[in-house]
Amino acid sequence: MKHDRGMSLWVVAWKRLNKNTGAVIGLAVLVILVLMALAAPWITAFDPTAQIVEYGVKPAGFKGPVILMKNAAEPDRPKMRAVQSYRTVRDSVFYVDPAGVEYRVHASSLVGTGPEDWYREPTFILGTDKLGRDLFARLVYGARVSLTVGLISESIALAIGILLGALAGYFRGWVDDVVMWSANVMWSFPSILLVLAFSIIVGQGFWQTFVAIGISSWVEIARIVRGQFFGIREQEYVTATQAFGFGTLRVMFRHMLPNAAGPIIVLSTAGFATAIIAEASLSFIGLGVQPPTPSWGHMIHDSIGYVTIGTNWGMLLWPCFFMAAAVLSVNVFGDGLRDAFDPRTSQR
Amino acid sequence: MLSFLLRKILYSILVLVGVVIVTFFIRPPGDPARVILGQRADEQSLVALRKKMGLDQPIPIQIAYYFGGLVTGDLGKSTATERDVVETIAERFPATALLASTAMIMATILGILIGLIASSRPNTWLDSAVMSISLTGISLPAFVVGLLLVLFFGVALNWFPNSGYVDRGAAHLFLPMLTLAIRPLSIIARVTRASMLDVLGSDFVRTARAKGLTETSVFVRHALRNALNPVVTTISAWFAGLLAGTFFVEYIFNWPGIGLLAFNAIEKLDFPMIQGTVLFTSVIFVLVNIIADLLYAVVDPKVRLQ
Repeated sequence: MKHDRGMSLWVVAWKRLNKNTGAVIGLAVLVILVLMALAAPWITAFDPTAQIVEYGVKPAGFKGPVILMKNAAEPDRPKMRAVQSYRTVRDSVFYVDPAGVEYRVHASSLVGTGPEDWYREPTFILGTDKLGRDLFARLVYGARVSLTVGLISESIALAIGILLGALAGYFRGWVDDVVMWSANVMWSFPSILLVLAFSIIVGQGFWQTFVAIGISSWVEIARIVRGQFFGIREQEYVTATQAFGFGTLRVMFRHMLPNAAGPIIVLSTAGFATAIIAEASLSFIGLGVQPPTPSWGHMIHDSIGYVTIGTNWGMLLWPCFFMAAAVLSVNVFGDGLRDAFDPRTSQR
Repeated sequence: MLSFLLRKILYSILVLVGVVIVTFFIRPPGDPARVILGQRADEQSLVALRKKMGLDQPIPIQIAYYFGGLVTGDLGKSTATERDVVETIAERFPATALLASTAMIMATILGILIGLIASSRPNTWLDSAVMSISLTGISLPAFVVGLLLVLFFGVALNWFPNSGYVDRGAAHLFLPMLTLAIRPLSIIARVTRASMLDVLGSDFVRTARAKGLTETSVFVRHALRNALNPVVTTISAWFAGLLAGTFFVEYIFNWPGIGLLAFNAIEKLDFPMIQGTVLFTSVIFVLVNIIADLLYAVVDPKVRLQ
């Protein structure tokens, strides 16, 4: 059947969303963060994992002269040496490190042919972390981890939650009992402890973190889908599809699921934000994405000892700010979505 | 009522069984004996340790042993300190309970107060300021809030100590308590505001106003009493969560409770202790929720029929 007049749920929702200033701002911030994550190598010339230990914990705007030495293992990533000054004598280069000690290297072990190739004076616009890595580069690249976690973990949670919720809501009986029992077991763990437990069980690393967060976040989705399916199954069109002889799976996922889409979408934005926090929390403990991969949670943890001393406060404030921006924008956008999909909210 | 009670308790036991099974699997991936002894351990000591830990048995038997230990109050010994897990947890619990209960009291009082203030001036700058701040409070994880509070009150203003337990002065309680309270406080404030606005729009409030009662009397004696129901639900739901929330807060403020214990256990890969703390927190979580459910059934007869 086609809609003869009026608008579909989606068009109505989109129109309502557009009128909600908060939601539009949230969406805009989110888009900026996504672009930042995608365009990270073009936004910053720094390698987020390259260390210059001598330049650790420097304030914003710090200029740190370096010479670039050839790196046999990874030719694309020259080793950086912090220098105060340098002089060339024939084919030797003498450089003074920040401690005032002079070293001599052969010109052939440096990148390129002359000082214009191997001498740099980069500006660390937000300063450096404790290992002398560029804070800004780590923030920008950190967005990749956070947003990927949100996306992948939430997809895993959605897949499990929709499947189990649909099965429970459609078949009821013992299937429902088993699903609800497992949901209640998961529910009995305070959320952070559950993520933690799974992360210990599946191990640490990039993909493991996604899986740990994903398998601990499906409960809410399963509950909602189950509730929706309870109601939808009683409707006549479902009886009709069954009368046509359609297979159970086809009825469930082609005909029933689209009618439960609104609440699922709303829940998954909330889950996206929760996943970002979960990843940051895990990384904060040291169980999440492993160093040197930049992660906001890890950056926050690294700043702890330095904050109380009062050196580069940006080490704490910037990752907190970026995380707050990501989580808040997702939440505000999600609130807007909820209002947009809720038929009870009056159209203004 | 009795059959409701019985069903509720039986089901909770069934759920707790699931909780124990999940907790059982918190162990190093692969061979736990090898993780504990290291890669260079010889086969003989590996076999000995596996036997000592019961790892040579099939998984269901191991789970049964785990249950057996649990029933007799034995959760094993810490692999890092050789101390009894149950004993250590009992020793650390008062610190966590102190932090969680004071934070909850603070969140309840301030949350209701702030919610009331916001609902008395709906859609003004004050209202939107309160709501935006509370949204931020809900969105940020405890460790971010805690560190920002340390930076502001501890380092910049130097009003409160940055870390440590109350045995070094009651002022040590303030920052961890505030950190832990912020999330439930924000939620209670929002729920109170929404519930108040709902009630303030109802007919009986209009009648009360028509009778010529003062605005304060309408607000406190008539509206607030009716608006508190969802607030009480929120508070009871959050109390259980608070115990778990102490996890990061205790770490940041070096507060010697269950959370810090768990944190240190994770750093040292002390699995019996990790299992013990996770299990303990989850069981408390379940128990508090059951009590909240039961109280709710006492208050509201409709719940019993479900």
